[in-house]
Amino acid sequence: MMPQLLTVRVNRPRGRAIRIWVPVLPVILLLSPFLILAALAAAVACLVYRVKVTQAFGTGWRLFCALPGTRFDVQEGRTAVLVSIR
Amino acid sequence: MNEQRKDILGLLAEGKITPDEAEQLIAALERDQPPVAAGSEGRPKAKAKYLRLEVDTLENGEPGRVNARVPLQLLRAGVRLAALIPPQALTRANAELGKSGVPIDLTQLKPEQLEALVEQLDEMTLEVDQPDAKVRIFCE
Repeated sequence: MMPQLLTVRVNRPRGRAIRIWVPVLPVILLLSPFLILAALAAAVACLVYRVKVTQAFGTGWRLFCALPGTRFDVQEGRTAVLVSIR
Repeated sequence: MNEQRKDILGLLAEGKITPDEAEQLIAALERDQPPVAAGSEGRPKAKAKYLRLEVDTLENGEPGRVNARVPLQLLRAGVRLAALIPPQALTRANAELGKSGVPIDLTQLKPEQLEALVEQLDEMTLEVDQPDAKVRIFCE
């Protein structure tokens, strides 16, 4: 299943914590014109480097779909950054 | 009482089979049933889903912590990227590795072998304990 939500939280020593929730599907739809261009560029790159286009896209999609559950939490003193993909 | 046993007793009640035949059928039924596992020891161990990395550091008196969780599924998908590396890139990488004294032939590295490696990560636990840093890598 593809990722649904990206959560970013930044705690700073001074000031309020920043929390950002990014719904993945709407963002993909919003960026779809650019993504189509990027996919075309990737396909050309695959042909230039003699890599199977279908295999490359299949692997990319599988990587994307395997992202849910990923979580990075970094704390340094009173500063903390959390990135979570659900 | 399970359905098969009921059926056998029903056949016996209807007179379609003799008591000896019913006994043989029930005995055969009991032989075919798998033994019930006692406690949780009989259950297969739950498969690990995530690779965890925990780093605790102490730099200039300030504690630092890194806590990362990566799905093993992502690693499995990632090793498939090895199949996408162009052959000419592998040849050049082999040459550079050879120059650096690491004679590894990357063309012999198959995605299936890497996947088998990821499969065996379940049991792995790596701990590094230093006075100012502690690293722990494990699967859960």
